[in-house]
Amino acid sequence: MKNEKNNIRDFLYDEPGPKAKRRIIFWTIVSLVPIAFLLYRMTVRFQENGQLAPQYWSFFLKYTTWRFIGQGLLGTLEAALTAGAIAFVIGFLLMRGRISRSGILRKISAALIEFTRGVPTLLFIYFFFLVVPQTGLKLPSLLRIALPVAISAVGVVAEVFRSGVNAVPKGQTEAALSLGMRNRHVFYKVIFPQAFRYVIPSLISEIVIVVKDTTFAYVINFPDLMQNAKVLISNYDAMLPVYLIVSVIYILINFLINQLARAVR
Amino acid sequence: MNIGELLSQYGGKYAIALLTTWKLTAVSFALALALGVLITAMRVSPIRPLRIIAGLYVQIFRNIPGVALLIFLVYALPYLNLIFSYQTCVLTATTLIPASFCSEYLMSGMNMIDKGQIEAARALGMRFTHVLRKVVIPQALRNSVLPLTNLLVATMLTTSLASQVPMNPMELTGLVSHINTHSVGGIMAFVISAALYCATAILIGQIGSLIDRKVRIVR
Repeated sequence: MKNEKNNIRDFLYDEPGPKAKRRIIFWTIVSLVPIAFLLYRMTVRFQENGQLAPQYWSFFLKYTTWRFIGQGLLGTLEAALTAGAIAFVIGFLLMRGRISRSGILRKISAALIEFTRGVPTLLFIYFFFLVVPQTGLKLPSLLRIALPVAISAVGVVAEVFRSGVNAVPKGQTEAALSLGMRNRHVFYKVIFPQAFRYVIPSLISEIVIVVKDTTFAYVINFPDLMQNAKVLISNYDAMLPVYLIVSVIYILINFLINQLARAVR
Repeated sequence: MNIGELLSQYGGKYAIALLTTWKLTAVSFALALALGVLITAMRVSPIRPLRIIAGLYVQIFRNIPGVALLIFLVYALPYLNLIFSYQTCVLTATTLIPASFCSEYLMSGMNMIDKGQIEAARALGMRFTHVLRKVVIPQALRNSVLPLTNLLVATMLTTSLASQVPMNPMELTGLVSHINTHSVGGIMAFVISAALYCATAILIGQIGSLIDRKVRIVR
């Protein structure tokens, strides 16, 4: 598709002629009006409610503010990487179970995958936050956020791995077996390395979900970006600016991760 | 608490919570679908500002964490004198986010359409909006039943955000935290909610593949 027309828009309409061009310019201007109006209204709203006052924004010029945000980001990173690593390992094991030759193992793995995919992350977080302490088990706060986030990701990770394994042509297994390789060997030396390469983009996209889920860290007081944002808010009494900036930071991070996934693909 | 005590004390609340989750999910998904179609139409339109706005929309809402959006709507917007009920805020968050994913799925569903069909429609003299309405969008929808099914499940999971604000009636996640803060619900309180979520997800999956088998365009 590289050299052909590959954008759907190329099929929906041709290069516009002079008349169509005029029409497009007309509608472009018409569509700009409500957009401009909306932007204007928003600015006025900020103004009217005093949210543009320098006291709400000037602290973003301070080094300490950004250091604190940076610390929060490190917390987010720590939680996301820990959760990602756990999800990676358990997801891999679940995938192994899901394609194993033992029927019972397959069923258990399939059930676990369905379970983790059908339950919201917040519920797992409440489980680790409210239910686990009732059993007397005290987990460090990093694990109290990383474990539930990881658990809610393992189902997807397992299925992603499985789709990769399925994408490797069957002939390869047969070829490897006919060379006298053992099943284990076939899987780890032939199938999985290729499967892994297929699924790298999907795994990267899954990191976005993990990063998003770590925002629930404030439920358990783990110092991630969201939690640090709350501290900033109480320090400077600037709810709107802080949440706005923090949201933009999250959007940018996830956008970059998605771009990375696309570049790898 | 064992399951008997829990159900006798909270059984009714679980039923209401399940219905609330279903209702939130259904409303959000219907709105998200409509918004997703609109955004997708804007993304392929010849009018540049619309494309830019729609593209921006998708990038913002597929990348923003749900809580960040919800907290923004609930706690930050009042500083602009924009005050909405908790329910409205939750529904807004659980609609805006799935709508962006919906548009992504529709875009890839669109790219699956045989380009000859679009050319044929245009050769018949159909206009852009006509081609979109009669040829492209219906097929894009039919092509993306399975991703949209997954999106419906994802929307259901997103509605658990409602537990972060005081909502009445509570949905399934909020109820678990409610039970565990008012009495020692133990693991069972969690298991019941989880089971109800899972059952719903499986049901959605089954119905989705049924619809997919009916409407998918076989090539």
